[in-house]
Amino acid sequence: MIEQQLSILLVVLPLLAAPIIAVINRSSIAWAMTLSVTVCCLIMSVWMLSGVVDGSVIHYELGGWAPPWGIEYRIDTLNGLVALIVCGIAAATALYAKRSVEQEIPKHQIPMFYCAFLLCFLGLLGICLTGDIFNLFVFLEVSSLSSYALIAMGRNRKALTASFHYLVLGTLGATFFLIGVGLAYGATGTLNMADLSVRLPQAVDTHLVNTAFALIVVGVALKAAIYPLHLWLPNAYSFAPSVVSIFLSATATKVAIYVLIRCLFHVYSVEYVTNTLLPQLLIVMGGVAVLYGSMRAIGQTGMRKMLAYSSVAQIGYMIMGIGFLTEAGLTASLIHLFNHALMKAALFMAAGLFIYRANTATFENIKGLGREMPWTFAAMVIAALSLIGVPGTVGFVSKWQLLQAALEENHWPMVVIILVGSLLAIIYVWKLIEVLYFQPREKMRVTGVASGSENIGRSPISMAVTLWILALSCIYFGINTELSMDTAKSAVEILFAADGGQR
Amino acid sequence: MSQTQQQDETKDEALGFFDKPNNVKWILWVFYALCIVLVALDFVVHRHIYLDYEKIPTFYALYGFLACVLLVVAAKWLRLLIMRDEQYYDKNEEEKPFENEGSN
Amino acid sequence: MWIANLPPFIPFFIGALLLPFLPNKARYFTLLIPILGGLNLFFGAQDGNWHVIKLLEFDVQIMRVDKLSLMFGYLFHIAAFIAITYSLHVKDKLQQTAGLLYAGSALGAVFCGDLIGLFIFWELLALTSVWLIWARRTEKANKAGVRYLIFQVLSGVLLLAGTLVHYQTTGSLAFDFIGLESVASWLIFIALGTKCAFPFLHSWLTDGYPEATPTGAVFLSAFTTKVAVFALARTFPGTELLVYIGAAMTCFPIFYAVIENDLRKVLAYSLINQLGFMVCGIGIGTALALNGAVAHAFNDVIFKGLLFMTMGAVLHRVGHVMGSDLGGLHKTMPKTTIFCIVGAASISAFPLFSGFVSKSMVMAAMIEAGHEYLWLMLLFASAGVFHHAGIKIPFFAFFAHDSGLRPKEAPTNMLFAMFFASALCIFIGTYPDLMYSLLPWENTYQPYDITHTLTQLQLLFFSALAFVWLNKMGLYPPELRSVNIDMEYLYRKMLPEIGRSTRKATSAFGTSGRLMFTKMVSYAPRMSKTSSYSTAQTAKRMAAILAIMLLLGYVTKMI
Repeated sequence: MIEQQLSILLVVLPLLAAPIIAVINRSSIAWAMTLSVTVCCLIMSVWMLSGVVDGSVIHYELGGWAPPWGIEYRIDTLNGLVALIVCGIAAATALYAKRSVEQEIPKHQIPMFYCAFLLCFLGLLGICLTGDIFNLFVFLEVSSLSSYALIAMGRNRKALTASFHYLVLGTLGATFFLIGVGLAYGATGTLNMADLSVRLPQAVDTHLVNTAFALIVVGVALKAAIYPLHLWLPNAYSFAPSVVSIFLSATATKVAIYVLIRCLFHVYSVEYVTNTLLPQLLIVMGGVAVLYGSMRAIGQTGMRKMLAYSSVAQIGYMIMGIGFLTEAGLTASLIHLFNHALMKAALFMAAGLFIYRANTATFENIKGLGREMPWTFAAMVIAALSLIGVPGTVGFVSKWQLLQAALEENHWPMVVIILVGSLLAIIYVWKLIEVLYFQPREKMRVTGVASGSENIGRSPISMAVTLWILALSCIYFGINTELSMDTAKSAVEILFAADGGQR
Repeated sequence: MSQTQQQDETKDEALGFFDKPNNVKWILWVFYALCIVLVALDFVVHRHIYLDYEKIPTFYALYGFLACVLLVVAAKWLRLLIMRDEQYYDKNEEEKPFENEGSN
Repeated sequence: MWIANLPPFIPFFIGALLLPFLPNKARYFTLLIPILGGLNLFFGAQDGNWHVIKLLEFDVQIMRVDKLSLMFGYLFHIAAFIAITYSLHVKDKLQQTAGLLYAGSALGAVFCGDLIGLFIFWELLALTSVWLIWARRTEKANKAGVRYLIFQVLSGVLLLAGTLVHYQTTGSLAFDFIGLESVASWLIFIALGTKCAFPFLHSWLTDGYPEATPTGAVFLSAFTTKVAVFALARTFPGTELLVYIGAAMTCFPIFYAVIENDLRKVLAYSLINQLGFMVCGIGIGTALALNGAVAHAFNDVIFKGLLFMTMGAVLHRVGHVMGSDLGGLHKTMPKTTIFCIVGAASISAFPLFSGFVSKSMVMAAMIEAGHEYLWLMLLFASAGVFHHAGIKIPFFAFFAHDSGLRPKEAPTNMLFAMFFASALCIFIGTYPDLMYSLLPWENTYQPYDITHTLTQLQLLFFSALAFVWLNKMGLYPPELRSVNIDMEYLYRKMLPEIGRSTRKATSAFGTSGRLMFTKMVSYAPRMSKTSSYSTAQTAKRMAAILAIMLLLGYVTKMI
């Protein structure tokens, strides 16, 4: 079956391309290879998803070793969807990257940049596809290490400290996760996720199982920037090069949330999670994250930092949906996962364009820039409306689903929080629009650009086109919800099925 | 058009129809006459009566007059309570942003 | 020739989408949209539900034709035609596009068949109309626009919440009679009431409309509130509470209107006053009353639009509409003056003008329903509306003391739009049968009989006499440059003041607290600089959460 081969090809292709780029060491070739690899992966992931959307599962045994001894790649609808998000955003980012990278990264580092980008992409994809929890940890480290390098390449020197903090915390999180995995291994003697899910309920030493659960959840929560553990995110995203912040904001936390879902609902079971108090904790944290993230976003003075805090809030919605522990709630979370990737990528792309033109995205320096860049501004407004949840955009679809899920469970406080969150979103989005469009234009203060540079004059077509593709898809998927909704529903059905998705 | 010419024109215009006190007086006299005719008609014409109040002769005329006087007097009193100067809401509106954290 | 059952918002939206890409002259063609759209609606629409589209898991009906929606459909086409004609000279595509989208959204809301569709167009109304305020491009208008938008979006959020709960409890999304019973219906009621400018929820109207552009106010006066009236007529006819709310709405704004200086704000208050009559009619709920409410909405759009147009013309030529600084404009703007008087006569319900034939229906229904005291309130409001809208506006703008202003007559397209509206006012007033034939409910009503004409004339003439007398005695309050505080005091003054004082208090407390804290911290060993603070902090948090989770796990096991 060709889909089986696709699953391994998705990982192997970037893994091969990355060292080749590093060896050839030419920036134009590096970009061309990155673009072609990501586009190939996108096509393959679409193909793969179409194979599993009906609920079937693809198994691939690495090296022919049968699980649970060998590593197995196991693709169902859930990871098919997340892999599609990762590939789609990666392809869009790669298309966008050329000019932005040329401007923001020193020339001799460009090939290495793309190399690290591909490795990060590979790591995230690997996390999605693998069915082996230790292999998942390895890919987690691959993606994390390369993302530290990517963030450190930001022009602002604060990028170095931001990256360093992220490194320390990310390592901490990964360590927690690893210890958790180790304990689970100790309790069951297996590392294959499907196998784990069978053996964990039978494990004799329940303390070991519980401790492993706690460690895994905390480790993943840090990677997903769930509310009290979000501190690394705003700096990391706002000081990274634009391309990196686009890619990471749209994929990294999403993949971490995928890991959380996978661990909660698949490795451990719904019944197990129900008996802990974790769901209540998740709902509360999600609610607080929505309010806290939005309030902080309002207080920001830079566009990227505002977007980063808004990410913290949006992650809150997803966590809330998971915490409801119902099919509707999880569906809402998955749809929001998909939708938020689209809109946040579009917004960070707009920020990247402003940075390209004005060399910064602080409000003080981009006043009135929207009037000079009407196309970019218009696309940004579409994505921003989506962030609020205006009908006709993707944001509405996910908020609607989440509201329904909350009402179904009679979580009235959460209904109120979701609505208040939307109102707060209006405020910060308005602040952005006001700065970009209504405040009088000040003389642009350009720093760090050679005089006579043509960058100041216009935005590159490739960047604008990518931005518009994403902005329009915000509307398209807001009206035609078939893809996101059906896939999410099918994924949730598998997770909630009586056998816990063992197939 | 020069300044003086413009002034001349306004002077010419100053004798417009409504600027002559006699004309205004005439209009008002016609108006008073109409009011009297309307009151007189009230005694001639038989009105349909739906409510008790309407049995009062010239009820509508009295009501209209009193309502308006009352309205204006009440509004004048209201002014004492709610009138503020034109910049009332615009004062104190400049404020520093609450929090200023990091850049970019 | 005609496209059967084409949802009428589509031509408007298509026009609005194309307009930004066409040269400036293309705006003349936008005139064709309401004309052809209106004709298409007249010839092509048949009663029933057409065109269902699927959105999420709901079937949204976007073309529901019955007599009520047709009546408002025609009305909005006429209003759009007048407003577009009136704004033809404006070379600002933002306004033209927003106006088209706004009119289209109103039509969409009127023809949609369920609450989901209503919500979507409800929000679109808010999002498209606010640009007509922002297009003024002044600091004041920006802020007023934001306040306006917040109110409108809040109304939408309430509607959505109400719809959701309503759907959860009844399983129905039908846009039909709901009635005030459950929590859901109250939410929907308040959402509609916000857009309908119920007392205490009205300040967005008096705050926002006077800040709109001269042409924008004409658009604004026509659609938002009338969509709300339409929605109330669909969902809450015969709700007793509405009668009292409506009566209050007719009375309280006239006090404000008498002392208000900004003449467009006077019009905004009198808009609330006229809405009160419609709300009363819906509250009574008999066929006569409902017909009266709908007919009054129909007329109000035209004569209130006319008055906003005349004031817009003054604003366009003079640059402000402050009653204290106007006067004597009849000398150079005679045509506008005449149109203004026609509008004033219509709004004050002079016989032979359009207000007369519709307001009286509501009054008659009020007597039939036995609300004697409320009827007296409405009569008071009728006298009052003549006093402030019928006399005050034309008098202070065009007559009164000569301000020395000699502006040019309004542009031709404005004059044409005003002429058209004036002609309609007089036509409906003299020949009301055509409009009556369009009314949705079965009822016959004869406005012109000797009693009614005589009593109305007495009421109006003696109100005028009171005005003359008060002026002669020097008792009439002069126009003063001022602001009158209204409900917006709550959020423009009180809340900010409270916020400021609490912040002051907390910051004083916070400073001392912070000093103490820093002192304490300085004794403790430092983790280098602030930057590593977040790292240590996060690590601590991770440990804390881990501990909590383990503890919880242990506790749950024990239980």
